[in-house]
Amino acid sequence: MQVKDVAKSFFENGKEFKVLDLVRFDLSERDFVCVVGPSGSGKSTLLRIIVGLEKPTAGEVLFEGEPIRADNPQVAMVFQSFALFPWLSVEQNVELGLEAKGTPLEERRKIARKFIDAVGLTGFEDAFPRELSGGMKQRVGIARALAIEPLLLCMDEPFSSLDPLTAQNLRDEILQLWTNPDLPPKAVLMVTHAIEEAVYMADRVIVLSSRPGRMIAELEIDLPRPRNRKEPEFYGWVDEIYSLIV
Amino acid sequence: MRGLRRWLRLVAVVLILAGIVTAIAFPQAAWNAIQLPLFAFFSTTRMVIAYLFALVFAIAYGHTAATNKRASAALLPLLDVLQSIPILGFFPAALIFFVATFHGHPIGIEFAVVFLIFTSMAWNMAFGVYESLTTIPADLEAAAASFGLRGWLRFRYLAFPAAIPKLVYNSILSWTNGWFFLVASEIFSAGGTEFQRPGLGAFIAVAGRNGDVPSIAIGIGVLAAVVLTLDIFVWRPLGAWSERFRMETAPGREIPRVPSPYERFRWLPRLPKVRKRIIARVQPAVERYHRLSMRFERAYSRHPKALREIRRVDLALFAIVFVVVVATGLVGLVQMFLRPLPPNASVLPSAAVLSFSRLLVAYAIALVWTIPVAAMLGESEKAARYLTPALELFASLPATALLPVIVGFALLIAPSVGAAGQLAAILIALFSMQWYLLFNLIAGVRSIPDDLKEAARSFGLRGRAYWKRLLLPAIAPSLLTGSITAWGAGWNALIVSEYIQYAHQFYEVPGLGSLLNHAVYPTPDNEMLLLTILTMIVVVLAMNKLLWRPLFRRASTRFRLEV
Repeated sequence: MQVKDVAKSFFENGKEFKVLDLVRFDLSERDFVCVVGPSGSGKSTLLRIIVGLEKPTAGEVLFEGEPIRADNPQVAMVFQSFALFPWLSVEQNVELGLEAKGTPLEERRKIARKFIDAVGLTGFEDAFPRELSGGMKQRVGIARALAIEPLLLCMDEPFSSLDPLTAQNLRDEILQLWTNPDLPPKAVLMVTHAIEEAVYMADRVIVLSSRPGRMIAELEIDLPRPRNRKEPEFYGWVDEIYSLIV
Repeated sequence: MRGLRRWLRLVAVVLILAGIVTAIAFPQAAWNAIQLPLFAFFSTTRMVIAYLFALVFAIAYGHTAATNKRASAALLPLLDVLQSIPILGFFPAALIFFVATFHGHPIGIEFAVVFLIFTSMAWNMAFGVYESLTTIPADLEAAAASFGLRGWLRFRYLAFPAAIPKLVYNSILSWTNGWFFLVASEIFSAGGTEFQRPGLGAFIAVAGRNGDVPSIAIGIGVLAAVVLTLDIFVWRPLGAWSERFRMETAPGREIPRVPSPYERFRWLPRLPKVRKRIIARVQPAVERYHRLSMRFERAYSRHPKALREIRRVDLALFAIVFVVVVATGLVGLVQMFLRPLPPNASVLPSAAVLSFSRLLVAYAIALVWTIPVAAMLGESEKAARYLTPALELFASLPATALLPVIVGFALLIAPSVGAAGQLAAILIALFSMQWYLLFNLIAGVRSIPDDLKEAARSFGLRGRAYWKRLLLPAIAPSLLTGSITAWGAGWNALIVSEYIQYAHQFYEVPGLGSLLNHAVYPTPDNEMLLLTILTMIVVVLAMNKLLWRPLFRRASTRFRLEV
């Protein structure tokens, strides 16, 4: 996937507000990329453009050489607010993307069960989102995204509405799923404002400046996995990114 | 449960005994009463048909207004006007139109009645759908788009469920409205003839004209029973069910439900045997629906272009009809004003002032009693538990059905016939207006967060200071919502309240409503009819634009309770 010189502006009362300017990077197989930036750097807008929910003012996003479309089944999205359908059960939520693809009922059910198992929600298939805790809701969100077996998984601050402990557990579980080669996706793109989180999870970190969001740096995090937050090398990376932003 | 069953048996015995006694004492009334179940059936059928039309209309209209920007520019103002004009004023015109279309066949009257009920139900439901669809959380919208939900699937999984809570809430309001209009429309005089269809409303109205007190009582009793039965077995379960579809991100700021004893009837659908049988019956239908919807979706995604074309043609047709209707209306208006106005047009301003002041008196009375009662019911669980059912029972009766009772009461206490007419007109307006105020206010008091109340207590706010600093500001938005709906109902009540036939005598007070009645009966005068309706619409729209709208904007920014 290629992000080519993407820029985005909003217009209000005839005035132009630039939120993103000339962002460019590539994503290929087995990449785990994090975009970090202060609030107002347009990270979420960038992600919405990348998955095709919004059109860039300039530049373009290519996915396997073609312009991206919002309903591309190769790209799945996990939301900060979970965005689960409150009137559908866990299983129906997970089946959503499959149903849109036209997968037959039996197969749909099988795939949904597999991913509900994978995120550790066995036994909660018939529960409704409002009966689940925040962490469990986000697991449903992740299972729903994985179920369409995407090449690229996009996550928009997936942990920031969870409490710290739950968030840390879920991070480790996602990394675990990521190391399993049998499971999708081939690449992950995550947006976050937590620098530590980015250094902990990503192979590559893209740093955006604030208002408008410009790319300041693109850093390869070559720490061995699993990473330890207490090591000085880990802190070296965190400090470096921190100084880039401030 | 056993206690309840014994109670039910007791109530049944009492009812049967009462029935026998009445039958012996008033044979004529008993004969009438035998027809009542049939009348109740006819009336309810009219309501159901009108409701189904309103439902389809509301979903189609609200969905179009929410998804098509260009169409919404015309659809929303149109809906706004339709919602605020007193529809009952148009009924004579509609009746004459339908009767003429069907060459005087009674089916024409049926069409007119159903049409009138439809117009009393549809607008707020359409607004409900529109509001729900425009307030779907952006993330949910994005999730639907990114997982490829389009067309029919998007409607089935996103748009329709999202609209359910407001749709059900507004359906309950519409249903109440519907009864009011049903009773008013089953018997109607227009163009020198009287049109009547068998039904509860006509039964009560005829009994009132004849001053037949037992028949009035039985008619109102049956109507109350029908209204309450539907409420308990249809609307309340539906209301409870619709909670499932509420968005979590926007917790129920709307109208917290008043607890009610009727909820204990919810065990009924839980009877295991009945439930199993229902499920066995319903399951195949549900599966068929699923399969059908898949096929529908596949067909949809195969011809997206054709569907878009159909939609465009639809909207174009609507636009043409809209323009033609507005244009003919305007041409007609210009023509009418080019000719000299009829001589009695000069009474229009004074009639408007008189009608308005009567509504104002009724509104003032309603405010004086509803605010303290709402404060009491909203603050005390106990008072709410015992008083709410009684109030709901009263509120379930449309003011149009109570008309004969109100006139009888007014005759009893008023010193002269003229005063009785005035009193009756004000009371009918009061009965149409007060419930909207009361139930909105109760909801407002209940929505005050507990910590605000506790904070007020801990700072020693009591008595007048408590009312001034917390209660009144906090209920301001619901007071306004209630007032707007109450005035809407009041204008409609005006039309039936100023010209009443009771016990073979006419009671009339000067005002827009009686002018309207004179314009259709005994000799039709289309020009006066139109002018009277126009005057009413101008007054109502002016009030909405100049009074309610600005007040509402201020109240919703200043007095909103953030949750």
